[in-house]
Order: sequence, then C-alpha cells, then structure tokens
Amino acid sequence: AAMRSRAEVDATLQTAKLNAAELLPAVHCLSFGPQAGGGECCLLQLEPGLLVIRGEKDEHAVLCSKDKTYDMKIADTSNMLLFVPGCKTPEELNADPVSCNIIYSQIAGFSKNYWELRRCRPKLKKLRKLLMEDPYEGPDSQKDQTSTFSKYTTEDLLSLIQASEEEILHQLQLIDACKIEGYWRILDFDYKMKLLNHVTQLIDSESWPLSKVPLCACLEELGSLEPREMIEHILLSYGRKYVDDGEVFFEMHEDKICRAIAQMLLQNAVKFNLSEFEEVWQQSVPEGMTTRLDQLQGLALVDKSSRPETIFLLKVEDLPEDNQERFNSLFGIREKWTEVDITPYIQDLCAEKQTVGALLTKYARSSMLNGVKVYNSRRPIS
Amino acid sequence: HSGGAGALAQWVLLELQGELEPRQGGHLAGSLLGDLHYTCEGVPVLVVGHHILYGKVVQLEKPFAVLVKQGAAPQPGPGEPHGRYSVTALIKTKLLFKTRPKPIITHVPKKV
Repeated sequence: AAMRSRAEVDATLQTAKLNAAELLPAVHCLSFGPQAGGGECCLLQLEPGLLVIRGEKDEHAVLCSKDKTYDMKIADTSNMLLFVPGCKTPEELNADPVSCNIIYSQIAGFSKNYWELRRCRPKLKKLRKLLMEDPYEGPDSQKDQTSTFSKYTTEDLLSLIQASEEEILHQLQLIDACKIEGYWRILDFDYKMKLLNHVTQLIDSESWPLSKVPLCACLEELGSLEPREMIEHILLSYGRKYVDDGEVFFEMHEDKICRAIAQMLLQNAVKFNLSEFEEVWQQSVPEGMTTRLDQLQGLALVDKSSRPETIFLLKVEDLPEDNQERFNSLFGIREKWTEVDITPYIQDLCAEKQTVGALLTKYARSSMLNGVKVYNSRRPIS
Repeated sequence: HSGGAGALAQWVLLELQGELEPRQGGHLAGSLLGDLHYTCEGVPVLVVGHHILYGKVVQLEKPFAVLVKQGAAPQPGPGEPHGRYSVTALIKTKLLFKTRPKPIITHVPKKV
C-alpha cells in the first residue's frame, strides 16, 4: 500500500472531527508488515528474574530462573494483540520530539493468545537416575578405575536437568550426594551403611552422647579405615554440624539413622512380619535411639489387612514422577488407600499452593470402608 | 536464552477488541490498519476505517518476550511451542483500546 501523506492524515482527522490542536504533532501510520499473520511470532509472558530455557531434544522445554522452574501454558484473551516495533509512547514523543511528524510503523505480528509461565515442580527424578548410573562404592572399589559410565559436574547437571540451579543444589543435598574429584556422586547404599556403621560403633564404644559427636576424634579413629572426606560426609548426612568452644561436633539425626537401618533390613525380603520386624529394628539401631513407624513415611508400607500384619519396602523415589502415572502405580499396588497412608507417596506431587486433598479430588474417588474414608482409582485398573 | 534489557529492541503492544478483517477480503500483510495519534494528555487515539478508538497507555507488570521461530517447518498442534525460538524483542508497554469504537459519520470528503 502506498505510504500515507501528512495531508491524507490531516484529512482523516477532519473527517473524524478530531481537533489537531489537542493532539501531539506526530502520528504513527500503522500497516501490517509483510510477515504479519504468518504465525512466525508469538508472545511469551515473562516472570521476573533471569530466564534460561532447559531441556534436551525430546523433553518439553521448561524455563528456569535462579530458583524456580516454569512450564508454559497458553492463555487466550478475547482481544487481538498486535506487536509493533518502533512505536513511540507519548512520554517518548514528549521527551524527544521527532523532527518529522509522521512515523510509518509496521506491525510485525498479531495474536489472540500468548504463552504464560506457570510455576511447576522441577523435574528432579532424572538427577537421581543419572547419579544412580554409577554409585560410589568407596576407594577400594575396582569399579571406578574401569568405569565407562558418565560422571557429572555441576555444569553437566545444570544443562541436563530441567530445574533451576537452586532446586538442583537443594536436591543434591537431600539425596546426600557428594562431590568426589569434582564430580557429583551418590553413595552406594551398602557403602553408605558401612560408613554409618563405623560411626555408630565408635559412638557406642566411646560412649559419646548422640547430640555431641566430635569430628576430630572420628577422623582420627576412623581415618585408617576410610577416606576422611567420606567420614565427614557421612557425619554431615546423618547429623547436624555445630561448633562449641571452637570444636566441631555433630548432633546425630535419630530419625534419619533409624530410617536408614530400616531400609537395610527391609530390602532383604519381599515383606516382613510387622511385629518381628519392629523387634529386630529396635535392636539394630544405636543405643539410645528409639524406632517409630512414622520414621518410615515414603519408605515402607504397613499392610494392616493381612494376618499377621506385614511391612514391605516401597520407596517414593522409585515411583513415577508424572501425576497420573504415580496414582496408577499406587492403585496397582493397593486398591484402596486411606489419606494417612497415601499422603507420603503423593506429597511431592503438590504444586505451589496445592494440597494433598486437591490431588486426591482430582485423581481418585473416595468411598467409605468400615467407617473409614478410603480412596481408589477413578478408572478400572488393568 | 534471553539477554539483558539493553540488548533487545523494545516494541509496543496494541490490544484491540474483536477480529481484524482485511478490507476487500485481501490479505492483511501490507495493508493499512489506521492512524495512531496521542492527545496532549497522552491518551492514544486510533482511527481505524470508520471508527475512532480511545485507549490508554499501560505499563505491563509482566513484560512479554516476542519469540520468533527459527527454521522452516511449521509445527502442528496447540501444545507447547515446538522447535527453536529466539527472543527478538521485549514488550513493556501496551496501548489498550477497550472502549467501543466511535463510528465516523462521513459526509462528502474534503478534496485535498
């Protein structure tokens, strides 16, 4: 289309009965650019903070700020959104009056919708999966020398895991990963228990209070058996570090130690007689510690319907990450669940401000069984 | 990967009600939309066809990034944006036209 002249613009103003004296001198003549309407451009609504897009080729992209992860959702407006390069606001025109009074602006594109960012759960299951490819079995293990498995630095993980840096570092801490020779490693469970056992036996033989285990003495006594970094790592994993009078001590974490020992016992069989298990478990934990079934949330499940009652290992981290798949898996294991029993196995699925109750409403159907509210699958399980 | 605000062009968003129809059923590309004026008080006035639209300048709480598809093949479906995109501009301001358009009653056009 031919470019409009100032005279034509003024004629339009007259026809429209607009008073030029009430308007700023510059007019933008808007026309559609050659690419407009081709669907090449789209809008993405941003959240504050530096954004990076993460994900491998076959994964859905997520956007990450320093500490949060978002996926993208389309938002419809009922309006038409046009995006115009080089269009000046009244403020800009007043601050820097253009020498000419006609600006030809081409609309680059338009859309009825835009992409919205929605805070989502960071996809962290892959982190564990990657590190579990090659768990660290200790310095004596022949495996490390001959290993062909990939090892991952922090940078490697940042480029492979769909989560923000803070979320990744936090997860590494939660799974008790440690850096060995610059690579993040997860400890092989048996090696971890071997290290823990050294420490608990030493605590026992020295009669140290569980709340005040001295780091130096541990390193001295155990340094000949295991690398010092590993001894310190196990103390950090199962205790809270503090300083008293210039010396470093650890307050041992009773619940976490009892839980680890339970896992060690439970992984040796499909299921156990509950009362027998409870007896062996209490005997196996360090002197002064008390075992409680609630220490095993998300680790083991009690079957109260069997006679005698039994307990078996069920780790939440072994279950699917996707909501529907998680529920399918849980209902495949047990047809009807009480809220108390299922909560530890779905808690991690809750999005920001979402409750377990909301998840249950969405993915399960409730009914009453012997006066107790239970949840079962919405669909028939094949 | 988005750069800092200094690196990207700043565009403006125009938000209009309803649909856009090309005149005489032609393609939109290349055709005129209308004239955008501002009053001395800074109120945007858009003259489109036989209508006058009054709007307002809004600073966006959440700015937009304009993504441009890289590469050829169009992607199917309303799922997430597939394929590779790059950020070509940022939008921090929009001109919102929500008032009902005032029709322009034409009489004999003045000869220019």
